[in-house]
Amino acid sequence: MIIAESKPILELVHQLSGRRRILLTGCACCVAECAAGGEREVETLAPLLRLALKVEGHSLEILTKTVERQCEWEFVEELAELIPQADAVLSLACGIGVQAVAERFPEIPVYPGVNTTSLALREEPGLWAARCQACGDCVLGETFGLCPIARCAKSLQNGPCGGTRKNGKCEVDENVDCVWNLIVERAAAKGRLESLLRIRQPKDWSNSHHGGPKRMLREDLRP
Amino acid sequence: MMAPRTETLGEKEAEVFRPEIVVLFCQHCVVPDADLSVATMATSRFRARLVMMPCTSKVEPSHLLKILAEGADGIQVVGCPHRQCRRLDGNLRAEKRIEYVRRLLHQIRMGAERLGMERGLDFSGLQLMLLAERRANAVKPLGRNPMQEERIK
Repeated sequence: MIIAESKPILELVHQLSGRRRILLTGCACCVAECAAGGEREVETLAPLLRLALKVEGHSLEILTKTVERQCEWEFVEELAELIPQADAVLSLACGIGVQAVAERFPEIPVYPGVNTTSLALREEPGLWAARCQACGDCVLGETFGLCPIARCAKSLQNGPCGGTRKNGKCEVDENVDCVWNLIVERAAAKGRLESLLRIRQPKDWSNSHHGGPKRMLREDLRP
Repeated sequence: MMAPRTETLGEKEAEVFRPEIVVLFCQHCVVPDADLSVATMATSRFRARLVMMPCTSKVEPSHLLKILAEGADGIQVVGCPHRQCRRLDGNLRAEKRIEYVRRLLHQIRMGAERLGMERGLDFSGLQLMLLAERRANAVKPLGRNPMQEERIK
């Protein structure tokens, strides 16, 4: 899922200072799963913002609405009747959702309430870890289902590097597994260590963000 | 000749400020026949509203913040002692959420002391009021909740 983190509350207070009535909108998809922008977070942030702004001497009225997915036009449309009632929108969706709302309703300022950080998996309650970097050239088939692009600090194609700790953790962060150590362990468990002897060639990054803004076109699906 | 005494604004405020405390308590930490009508008793020091919950684990950050956004001066959550929660770890979950909200209240300069948690068993209604008073005393230096200005008179 797409992972996002709440922006610092004082940053939001600074953004919204001077507004009288805002629409605080959540997204019930990825950001709800990572506890940053779902209905629960909307209902928590609304009173917190009112309190924070009141301490600064401002009164703020907040309308709330959480839609199923802010990255789909059909669901974004559900905000249409509330937009005229607000003088700004604070969206707790990922960067895609914020842009969709801003594109659909250009007449009103739209602010992000979260920072979108990664594509991650919930490892355990309250802990999410990156699993994909959307590199556009998936190698999971060669690396036993473990991504060296997203999970290696150096995105090494051939590893491990010399920095793996004795306990199998990454030299960059003692709490993070060295993914190449995991790959070797998994290859050994499957009796296929020799497959890792093949040197992988430099990766073609042109299908990731290095190749400029990404567009995907499927003629068969177009009207 | 004695100089006339000048009352400062701070003294006047403190004189009339009776903190409004909401007490959220677990149903299992009070005696079965607890007299909860004590909350209606007039006191010159604070006002209290008692709210019984099935378990303190039902307390969500949004509940706590909404109570404060509605103008309460402070919240006292009362739960069972460690390892004595009938829902196993409900009181520990409540404690984590309360700490989270206290951090938020500190960040926005509302004062973390507006929210706290006490633990115990077999509380009477009067004892709940004493816990409310403890929160009221912690809240007094912070002054009134500014959200009270927004209440419909």
